[in-house]
Amino acid sequence: MAAIVCNEITKRYGNHQVVHAFNLAVRENEFVVFLGPSGCGKSTILRMLAGLEEISDGELSIAGKVVNDLPPRDRDIAMVFQNYALYPHMSVFDNIAFGLKRLKVAKSEIEQRVNDVASMLGLEPYLGRKPAALSGGQQQRVAIARAMIKTPAVFLFDEPLSNLDAKLRNHMRVEIARLHQSLRTTTVYVTHDQLEAMTLADRIVLLKDGRIEQLGTPKEIYENPRSKFVASFIGTPSMNFIDMVVSSDGASFVLTNAATRLRVSKERYRLQDGQTVIVGIRPAHLVPASDGNDGNIIAGVVDLIEYLGNEALVNFELGGVEIGALLDSNACPQRKQPCRLTVDERHIHIFDRESELTLIRSLS
Amino acid sequence: MAVKSKSPTAKLALAILVFIAIFPIFWVFLNSFKQLVDIVSTTPKLFFTPTLDNYIYVLGRDNVQHGLINSVVIAGASVLIGAVLGIPAAYAVARYPNRFSDDIQFFVLSLRFLPPVAVAIPLIAIWLDLGLYDSRTALIITYTLLTMSTIIWLAIPAFTRVPREVEEAAIVDGYGAYAVFFKVALPIAAKSLTGAVIFSFILVWNEFLIALMLTTSDAKTLPIIASEFTLLGRNVPWGILNASVIVLSLPPLIFVGVMSGFINSALKKKD
Repeated sequence: MAAIVCNEITKRYGNHQVVHAFNLAVRENEFVVFLGPSGCGKSTILRMLAGLEEISDGELSIAGKVVNDLPPRDRDIAMVFQNYALYPHMSVFDNIAFGLKRLKVAKSEIEQRVNDVASMLGLEPYLGRKPAALSGGQQQRVAIARAMIKTPAVFLFDEPLSNLDAKLRNHMRVEIARLHQSLRTTTVYVTHDQLEAMTLADRIVLLKDGRIEQLGTPKEIYENPRSKFVASFIGTPSMNFIDMVVSSDGASFVLTNAATRLRVSKERYRLQDGQTVIVGIRPAHLVPASDGNDGNIIAGVVDLIEYLGNEALVNFELGGVEIGALLDSNACPQRKQPCRLTVDERHIHIFDRESELTLIRSLS
Repeated sequence: MAVKSKSPTAKLALAILVFIAIFPIFWVFLNSFKQLVDIVSTTPKLFFTPTLDNYIYVLGRDNVQHGLINSVVIAGASVLIGAVLGIPAAYAVARYPNRFSDDIQFFVLSLRFLPPVAVAIPLIAIWLDLGLYDSRTALIITYTLLTMSTIIWLAIPAFTRVPREVEEAAIVDGYGAYAVFFKVALPIAAKSLTGAVIFSFILVWNEFLIALMLTTSDAKTLPIIASEFTLLGRNVPWGILNASVIVLSLPPLIFVGVMSGFINSALKKKD
């Protein structure tokens, strides 16, 4: 168990900087997820933690020890790779035991520990097989067993589930969550799948272009996205964005575009008269408006319904933008019928047009 | 692994091709057991009284025995040295690329551009000066250039195909660069590497021109000795020639068999 401290960590390839002064303190026992689109630097940072990539600048410490110049073996870490990276010429048993063999652990103890780990992950029947004879899910379980057996201070996962099919991915995600509950090993997990990040993480580090875009618990990030990028990256179906113009009206601001008008309070948002902003509303936060309600109405004629089971994603056009609303599938309008929805002010996100940063006072 | 076709035409075509490839070798094999009269008869004879005379003559001659030993020692040593130096070199080029990697690869290939004669003539002068002309050492060193460049050229892609993550997993497991090479990269690439080694062995085993120019008596290899049988006189000794062809072909076959058997057992050991 160990804490990880990244202090101004930077990665450059020649003149090209891919990670910019990365600061993060991972607490003991914490499960931190690096989330971001491909090319955002998340894997590079993980590989710097592992010692597979040199740190250009800054200081990295694991369990209070600066490890910048230590090889992977002296960092007390274990890593699980995206494509499993099993040794194809060794049996499952030897794959799991390979790390212990270097440490000259007694044969009987190796056997004991491999069997313990294998039984934990349900791998006992496969110990004699070669990796090629296993399914993708089993292979990834072997890779996890190989990491676990060393009882490292830190687990590093590099997109471990992205090569699996959807059903297996859900299953393995639950297994990883359970494993972390029982082992409590400090974990850094890289993924581009926001669902994995939301379900597994104690805290999410959302990265964009080698910088931290937002750091927080899944709930914080979902409810209070700091920028339009975060808002669009987190949550499915993704947030609706509408361009609007601000005007001041007494104690409130009025946001208008060709199709609709929203009224929001001045205490909550930091806006200026005449400013153009991007309004963000999650599909789940649009609810049917009662007949007498005239405030913050978003209405249109339904042009597409995506049935999802309990809910349906109802799409309609509003002043040139496609809006999606997640409604109860038993009580939603039909295609070509009018649809009249409203949204609570608490769920209205407003972003600056230029900087795309949030304009909610408590966050900016 | 192999593509299986059930079409009879495909099978027939395949059989014809195999026959075309195998029959000359089979005929040489038969002829090596024939008397000269049976070989030169106008109607080819499939049934005859076999004789071992040809083999007794070929294997009984001192220069054949000497040439066989020379060939085994020279080809064996040059392949061994070529593999020991070439395989790690190929790994270094494949795994630790730098700005010279492409040049190194091109240089290695370019060693094979020149016709052997162009290489042999300056080498004659060099070995004469060093007092090593017509020695096994000279031929081993010369052939090592061939085996090493061939092995490097063929081994680079073999190592490039080893997934980098697998090696990184071993590094995270605590192994150093040399252990990663010996315990991970080498076993994974072994199959392709065997092919490279076998190919380079056959290349130098059959090598004729350079051997012809760099040897006069002591270090003559088997291909040179075998070729001399054709110069025995007006009566071409067909039986002896055929027997010497068989003698010449056996060692590479044995070598291929031993190498692939070794590889298969190494790979199957823990199944």
